[in-house]
Amino acid sequence: MDSEDDMHDANDLESLDDDFYSGETGMGSDDGDGDYEFGNNASDDSDDGNLNRQQENYTVLSEDDIRQRQEEDITRISTVLSIERDHACILLRHYKWDVDKVHEAWFANEESVRQTVGLYENPVARTFSRELLCGICFERHPCDRMCAASCGHFFCYSCWRGYVSTSINDGPGCLMLRCPDPPCGAIIGQNMINLLASNEDKEKYSRYILRSYIEDNITSKWCPAPGCEYAVDFVMGSVNFDVSCNCSHNFCWNCTEEAHRPVDCTMVAKWILKNSAESENMNWILANSKPCPKCKRPIEKNQGCMHITCTPPCKFEFCWLCLGAWTDHGERTGGFYACNRYETAKQEGEYDEAERRREMAKNSLERYTHYYERWATNQSSRQKALQDLQNMQNVQLDKLSDTQSQPESQMKFITEAWLQIVECRRVLKWTYAYGYYLPENEHGKRQFFEYLQGEAESGLERLHQCAEKELQTFIDSSGPSKDFNDFRTKLAGLTSVTRNYFENLVRALETGLNDVGESGNQPTCSRSSSIKSGKGKNGKTRTIGGTTSRSLDDGNHSHWSCESCTFANTKSSMVCQVCHRRR
Amino acid sequence: MQSSRARLFKEYKEVQREKSADPDIQLTCDESNIFKWSAFINGPSETPYEGGVFQLAFAIPEQYPLLPPQVRFLTKIFHPNVHFKTGEICLDILKNAWSPAWTLQSVCRAIIALMAHPEPDSPLNCDSGNLLRSGDHRGYKSMAKMYTKLAAMPKKA
Ligand SMILES: [Zn+2]
Ligand SMILES: [Zn+2]
Ligand SMILES: [Zn+2]
Ligand SMILES: [Zn+2]
Ligand SMILES: [Zn+2]
Ligand SMILES: [Zn+2]
Ligand SMILES: [Zn+2]
Repeated sequence: MDSEDDMHDANDLESLDDDFYSGETGMGSDDGDGDYEFGNNASDDSDDGNLNRQQENYTVLSEDDIRQRQEEDITRISTVLSIERDHACILLRHYKWDVDKVHEAWFANEESVRQTVGLYENPVARTFSRELLCGICFERHPCDRMCAASCGHFFCYSCWRGYVSTSINDGPGCLMLRCPDPPCGAIIGQNMINLLASNEDKEKYSRYILRSYIEDNITSKWCPAPGCEYAVDFVMGSVNFDVSCNCSHNFCWNCTEEAHRPVDCTMVAKWILKNSAESENMNWILANSKPCPKCKRPIEKNQGCMHITCTPPCKFEFCWLCLGAWTDHGERTGGFYACNRYETAKQEGEYDEAERRREMAKNSLERYTHYYERWATNQSSRQKALQDLQNMQNVQLDKLSDTQSQPESQMKFITEAWLQIVECRRVLKWTYAYGYYLPENEHGKRQFFEYLQGEAESGLERLHQCAEKELQTFIDSSGPSKDFNDFRTKLAGLTSVTRNYFENLVRALETGLNDVGESGNQPTCSRSSSIKSGKGKNGKTRTIGGTTSRSLDDGNHSHWSCESCTFANTKSSMVCQVCHRRR
Repeated sequence: MQSSRARLFKEYKEVQREKSADPDIQLTCDESNIFKWSAFINGPSETPYEGGVFQLAFAIPEQYPLLPPQVRFLTKIFHPNVHFKTGEICLDILKNAWSPAWTLQSVCRAIIALMAHPEPDSPLNCDSGNLLRSGDHRGYKSMAKMYTKLAAMPKKA
């Protein structure tokens, strides 16, 4: 019964939010969750079926794509400026692969560009003799055993080879290699490298050129996932930084941390710094310290004795085992030096873990622990869900479509559910960082936040459980099950409901929880007013549910709730959009 | 290794042949090890180093001339770009601006030029760098001159 109520609520919220959504969201903001729309992209991602959705504000580039783009840019410059491709490549590298900048600079003052880049038109040194002295080995060589860059400073092949190889093996600085003649700035391009370098070095050099196309270009970055070789080209100025690589890694293009919507980059950086600063502390403190029962500061035990004295100004003396005042120790506890209250208390259930935790929550470290634990748990839960999703796509769906005698195309709803779980775990995780930084004294906001987070979390737990446990029974069954269609309805419904909860959560956090107390649309008002009534969490949920659905039923007849799956359908449709049941 | 020997041998012969080409530089090669050289350079005129003779020690890597030689002052010198204790020199051509077309002789010339034109913004000797940067040229000159007298001038017995 409970869960039905909740699902109902969520659909109410969704229906009202429909207008809100279409009106307010820009290009980027509906990609995170809104992507996993039913049926909409059933056809456009059929090949790999992973998280890859190409957005308008970025493009994922494979190595081939990068080479192709690079070649195209070089061709453009070489054609427009009527110069060799080698020289076009040198110019592009100098101007960080910005084609427009090359054009601009070149046509403004070709001579000055040639000077700065080191691309000389007429050799400064020219010779017609048959033999020349090489300026590196100081030997005389016949001219056909020597070569020069655009400046005409000749060195023998053997010295050139050493020069080029030393530079290539010294790192990407070799892309800026110049003529060895000290005052000469003539640049050494790829043609010359290809003439002089070993195959291995040529390969290295061309990788540096490829890398430079991504690393020097301000609009592109490599995907930060380990081992991933894709890059992402971003449309500068876009509001939404979340990008999804073809390797299925979602990351923030701005800070290259994993995608962290609805939390902003600054908060993520702060949180990550905090985690790294605390990580060593954390384990150690949890193992070696307890909060002082009086002042709650963490106290470490660094002696064998159980008699602990808190640091000044508190100086409270207590027993490490039972956390009771040391003055209480005596006959009752087995004497000053032998405490058995800990054991007794444990037997009596007085000092259960939960209570200890609750007490410790007042302490700032424990506050952090609270959020960190939940952040980390959702992180690993997401990791697990990602594996399950892959396993589902690679093995289980095939099996399922066999046992249930249904085409695999009919199993799309399962993939949708898992994609939703993975995405929700990610969002939920970051809401815990958000919660940590939300000031304690912003009571209205905190309550609103915890309410939305709680709703989203319980929705997600239901969905996750359904996709994990209930699905398994159908996979394990020996033949087609009558209940499979009901299961489809349920899982699809839960997916939709959970998506709505999370959309609400994301939107609320992205607007800084400013909906609290703001006038505007109805659910917002009813939400905040019921929160201000200050009931317990469960009571609060009910109140809100009640108010919201009343406002929907009484005031606004634009939607109807499906009796079977609780989906809030628009008034105009006579058949449920989710389960196709008639109104 | 082979090419570095050959090249050093060329430099050696060149030095022998043109001993008087640059009167301010006296380069000599360790008779038992062609990778160890030393030089005496004259402090440039109109600088606090004038009249001093400074000894430099060269340690030459096997990849020479593709990699630069390591050079340091053996004679104590008060100069913003020379480490007062170790004699280490901060000079771009001995690091990233090295070119294989440079020779030991041209390195000496570059060091003489550095003595005449210190770069107080990349100091290895902070005291000296600070004097120059704060505009106390007199202070810098008198210190440098004092050390030149103490360390770089032949003692008149
Ligand atoms: Zn040569
Ligand atoms: Zn040149
Ligand atoms: Zn990737
Ligand atoms: Zn970011
Ligand atoms: Zn205390
Ligand atoms: Zn005790
Ligand atoms: Zn329905």
